[in-house]
Amino acid sequence: MKQAFRGLRLNKTNTALMTLGIIIGIASLTVIVAIGEGTKKSVLNRIANLGFGPDAFSVYAGAGRLFFRKAQMPTNLTLQDADDIAALPSVRIVVPRQRKRLRAIYSRNNTSTRVYGVTPPWQEARAWNVADGRFLSDQDMERKSKVAVLGATPARNLFQGIDPLGKSVRLGTVFFKVIGILEEKGVTESGYDPDNRILIPLSTSMSRMLHQTYLHSIRIQVLDPGQVSKAMEDVTALLRQNHNLSSLAADDFRFVTPQGIMEWVNKQKLAMNRMLLLISTISLLVGGIVIMNIMLVSVRERIREIGIRRCFGASRMDITQQFLCESVVVSLFGGILGVGLGWGISAGLKYMDWIPTQIDWQPFALSFVFSTLIGLLFGIQPARKAAFLTPEETLR
Amino acid sequence: MSLIEMQSIIKSFKNIGFETQVLKGISISIEGGEYVSIIGPSGAGKSTLMAIMGCLGRPTSGMYSLDGEEVESMNDKQLSRIRNEKIGFVFQAFHLLPGVTALDNVMMPLMYCSEIPKDATERAKAALQKVGLGHRLHHTPGQMSGGEQQRVTIARALINNPKIILADEPTGNLDSKNGAEIMKVFDQLVSEGRTIILITHDPKVAEHSNRTIRLKDGLVEEDRYHETVQKHEAGISGPAAE
Repeated sequence: MKQAFRGLRLNKTNTALMTLGIIIGIASLTVIVAIGEGTKKSVLNRIANLGFGPDAFSVYAGAGRLFFRKAQMPTNLTLQDADDIAALPSVRIVVPRQRKRLRAIYSRNNTSTRVYGVTPPWQEARAWNVADGRFLSDQDMERKSKVAVLGATPARNLFQGIDPLGKSVRLGTVFFKVIGILEEKGVTESGYDPDNRILIPLSTSMSRMLHQTYLHSIRIQVLDPGQVSKAMEDVTALLRQNHNLSSLAADDFRFVTPQGIMEWVNKQKLAMNRMLLLISTISLLVGGIVIMNIMLVSVRERIREIGIRRCFGASRMDITQQFLCESVVVSLFGGILGVGLGWGISAGLKYMDWIPTQIDWQPFALSFVFSTLIGLLFGIQPARKAAFLTPEETLR
Repeated sequence: MSLIEMQSIIKSFKNIGFETQVLKGISISIEGGEYVSIIGPSGAGKSTLMAIMGCLGRPTSGMYSLDGEEVESMNDKQLSRIRNEKIGFVFQAFHLLPGVTALDNVMMPLMYCSEIPKDATERAKAALQKVGLGHRLHHTPGQMSGGEQQRVTIARALINNPKIILADEPTGNLDSKNGAEIMKVFDQLVSEGRTIILITHDPKVAEHSNRTIRLKDGLVEEDRYHETVQKHEAGISGPAAE
């Protein structure tokens, strides 16, 4: 061990190069894992916050992927669909929704938020009380009133301590009167903010704001959780009929269910983990090859030293151990620095709010294990080469 | 049984189809406490013979026993142990570990003992003091003169108390004054009862020994006992060896 440290000290350039190789490998590994974990976590959080109980699911307009679709909005989900679904025997609550991301403005303050056009049963479906004022009423729906219920976040951002009730807030180009504030749920760890939303009557949203008759989605609450799959079948049949789909045509809508979400999440996790594994393997491989190359050069340069040691009783085993020790020490040292660097970069990315990163203990453990393995794996060949030189030829 | 017993040692090297026989059947026996010079012109096989004697290489054929142990049947680990315990090497080119202090250089062989002695540092210090380098413990080879470096190698050769000192042209890289000092150290080691085998091409150096083996073309040409000349040099002030 001591010999290894001495050898490394005497060959500073080689040591520095090897360390650099490992630092880059391990740092990228750490950053990649942090980014991967961060992304995973933020996705999972977003999904967890859709607020499904076991008795709820949603129908979204348009077929295809569950999340992260193209911005293009299908126009085939209508209020008629929602009414028909509500007539199904197993269904308890139906909430048709429109949704748009808009800028909300009050006085000189403005904030970006999600504006939902919903019907009054939304409150019961989400079990979300108002902290102040009142929720949207059936009357608001009928009159297409320009009233809004604010989530805690826009309420705070726009009004900054002033009581928002009765104030007039501008959403896009239209002014709305604030009639209520939702209870605060709090920001999740990954930064998803469920309170960053403003609710307006669906009727108002359709005719006075978005000027569109089609829905973004319909949230459906069934009478009891056992009926979810039956209800989904009924809804499918109903929508296919309403949309005049032939038996050969694919669905033009999609379901979001707790189960579907779980499947999707698992699929995403798997894909993400695979990608992480691939990238880290490549970066570590590169680091390992750097070590091996430099160790091989080092063997050549230090051929005399090997010969001298052999003369005075070092066996092949001793020489192998010495060189292995050196490469493991370098790898571990590089590993420590690499983790530090990677941690710094991840923290920086998070701080600058560019990419969500999640710093865990796993990449650290992983890096240590990997760097040691790399040291052993890529050190063996040079070490054996060093040991199998006969002392005779090394001292020529 | 002699300390070193060699019988019809043959060593040949293969080189792209050519086979060169460097040693063509050498039989030597050396008793403990002898002071032997092996001389001969370059290419006579001196260094090859020394490599085999020092267990650094194996003969192509022949029998070699060292201190009663058959060497040619040993594996790498056993050979390494023999080199570690029974032989001390001194080289023409010193072969010290660069950038490492004299003390650590001298201690190096102890690190390969089956059990690292606890008093390794003290032993190394004593060995360096014995060759007159008590004031150079923490100097690296680059900071020392040739004569001093060669004395470090002698201290290193002695550290594990070997029976045999194998010296390959120990004065070859030194001026005559430093060379004479090194030879004085050897003379003293013989008086302590060690076996010294000196490989040289310089007949004047060989005169220090009491037996000279002359090699030529891979064979022993002459093997004779003679008077030592160490008294002649008594006048020259040696290193503070005592």
